[in-house]
Amino acid sequence: MNLEKVVFGFFVLLAATLNFGFFIGDLDDRVLHNVYELFGAVVVSLIATVLKFGDRTQIGAVHLATSLVADLQLIAAALVWGYADHISSAGLTPGATASMVSLSGGALLANLVSVVLLVVETVSFQRR
Amino acid sequence: MGPLLGFLRRLLHGESRPRPPRRRSPVGSATHASETIFLVLRRMRVPLIVLIVIFAVSVLGLTLVPGRDAAGQPYRMGFFDAFYVMSYTASTIGFGEIPYPFTPGQRLWVTVAIYLTVIGWAYAIGSLLALLQDRAFRQALALQQFRRKVARLREPFLLIAGYGRTGELVGHAFDALGRRVVVVDRAGDRIDDLELDTYHADVPGLVGDVRDPGLLGIAGLDNPSCEAVLAMTDDDEVNLAVTMTAALLRPDLPVVARTTSPGVMERMRAFGNPSVINPFDAFGDQLRLALHAPASYQLLTWLQSGPGAELPTRGEPPRQGRWVICGNTRFGEELSKDLRAEGLEVEVIRPEEAAESQDAGSADGPEPATGLAGADLRHAVGFVAGTDDDTVNLSLIAVARQANPDLFVAARQNLPRSGPLFAAMDLDALLVPTEMVAREVYAQLSTPLLQRFLRGMPARGDEWAAGVVDRLAGRCGRRLQALWKIRLGPEEAPALQAWLGAGTLRLGDLLRDPVDRTRHLYVIPLLVLRGADATLMPAEDFVLAAGDEVLFAGRPASRRSLETTLLVDAVGEYVVSGRQVPSSWIWRRLSRRPARAG
Repeated sequence: MNLEKVVFGFFVLLAATLNFGFFIGDLDDRVLHNVYELFGAVVVSLIATVLKFGDRTQIGAVHLATSLVADLQLIAAALVWGYADHISSAGLTPGATASMVSLSGGALLANLVSVVLLVVETVSFQRR
Repeated sequence: MGPLLGFLRRLLHGESRPRPPRRRSPVGSATHASETIFLVLRRMRVPLIVLIVIFAVSVLGLTLVPGRDAAGQPYRMGFFDAFYVMSYTASTIGFGEIPYPFTPGQRLWVTVAIYLTVIGWAYAIGSLLALLQDRAFRQALALQQFRRKVARLREPFLLIAGYGRTGELVGHAFDALGRRVVVVDRAGDRIDDLELDTYHADVPGLVGDVRDPGLLGIAGLDNPSCEAVLAMTDDDEVNLAVTMTAALLRPDLPVVARTTSPGVMERMRAFGNPSVINPFDAFGDQLRLALHAPASYQLLTWLQSGPGAELPTRGEPPRQGRWVICGNTRFGEELSKDLRAEGLEVEVIRPEEAAESQDAGSADGPEPATGLAGADLRHAVGFVAGTDDDTVNLSLIAVARQANPDLFVAARQNLPRSGPLFAAMDLDALLVPTEMVAREVYAQLSTPLLQRFLRGMPARGDEWAAGVVDRLAGRCGRRLQALWKIRLGPEEAPALQAWLGAGTLRLGDLLRDPVDRTRHLYVIPLLVLRGADATLMPAEDFVLAAGDEVLFAGRPASRRSLETTLLVDAVGEYVVSGRQVPSSWIWRRLSRRPARAG
């Protein structure tokens, strides 16, 4: 067992699960989307990105790319939330909630690709 | 990432540039450089993650600690405010407590967070700065920068392996000619000197072992613009390695290597056809030339010295008599061979043997005076001090002059810093091996026509050479200004094609001043090459033909005037025929005169 692989797999999966937990539920219902979960997803996704630094393999490069996409989407979602909740006079309307959640949905797709890559890497490693 | 980018680049640009069929040189050192960058990224993982975690914990804690708003109602800070507060707190800006004054609980947490984040930042920034100071990282950065510079070179350049005194002289000579050079040397301070040096163009330099083929590949051996490789280190084996690498990976490139060992020279010649320069051999040849043709020797050294060189004085060496050579084996052998071929009597003294033959217990090093005692300097005409120690050489000269003040004295100077001492000795001939090599390289690579001229010159005799020196000095001054080559084809001389085709263009007409054609430009044609036939010092009425290559010596201002004559139709017409013609197309139409004389 390689501790590095454990930590790596843990963060990649945790990023995907947190993201999924935040995303699931009606798009425009703010009660179903806890902002703490979004915060957790952003932090874990950033850590997962840093963990992917410095991997010279082709699959490592794609890992890094998907992670950067997830970061971008999640940070955009957080910005939407910050704008709606604190700056906009209308507050967190169903429309703002929907756009925030759909942005995190894009991040979820990227995180799923990350998980698929992880699985592919693991499976191909065992075959060798 | 490499293969993907390479594929995209090929897709976008296509294989536009046909490469000559040859093996690619390995790029081991290049991958090494990117490896170092990856290592740096890897090492930044822990500090960055620590920073992210500390930030996350602080922000999360701040949102959870209960606060109180202005009205005294319980209040929880949102992520937005918490992130804002932590950002300015962590970066030690400290705007204060917003949106409401903190409760003691919040203050407690922020105190903890301040210490945590300061530690996190200090750790991350400290690691980053340590990495930037890291030797391997800086070397990798320098290598990448160097590689980018060399890969971007689109004009022809020379690759100089070994930037010692010779490399420096060669580099400056070619830089003065407007040619680019790329430099690799093992010593870091030599490469640092590049930045302080006064080059016209930017000279990419790299610290590294030139025996590494990958490194030479990065330094431009792989670049199609590379026009020659110079192996100029002071180590024969290294020069051999460079010659081999260049011959195997780029057989089409000319290679110039330096060595003093005949054995290494043979091994170099086994690879392709490099021109090998042995400074001792060249000095012997030049001394021979100086003995039987002082003016030819004067002209040779003048033309070889590069742009801006002053006319050397003409020596008067003794034509017959006995010579005494004091030097180590290689130098003594080379020189005595050449002098004997000239019909002179030669005696070779080896200082190390002389030292052994005297009292072995004294161990004071070579004792030049006792070594020379048996040489009978009173009846010799020439003396050569050629050991590889400058102090010994100087004392040998002093002793020899004491014994016979009328001696013709030649000496070998090994270190550049001894220059003033040898100059003060007022010698008849001086060999500085590094400068000798630099001059030979210059003659071989500056323009092929100069090499042709120098090879054909000794056969013309001493009187002829003296005439050439007088003409050059009279027309262009006692400092050699510029040497350049012109090919009278449609590219370089479009204005003269009509006359060249008709066979009526005489060399003398070409060299008139475009301002006033009765005046002559300060230019001397040294050589005209037509096909394989070379004409040295062509006369004024020499008839030029299309495709001729001409080597000129002269002042830079005259060179520009000559270029106008070659390029601008109206100027060419005026200079050659004396007719003033309108230079614009419309005026030429209006004047209805035949623009060209047949």
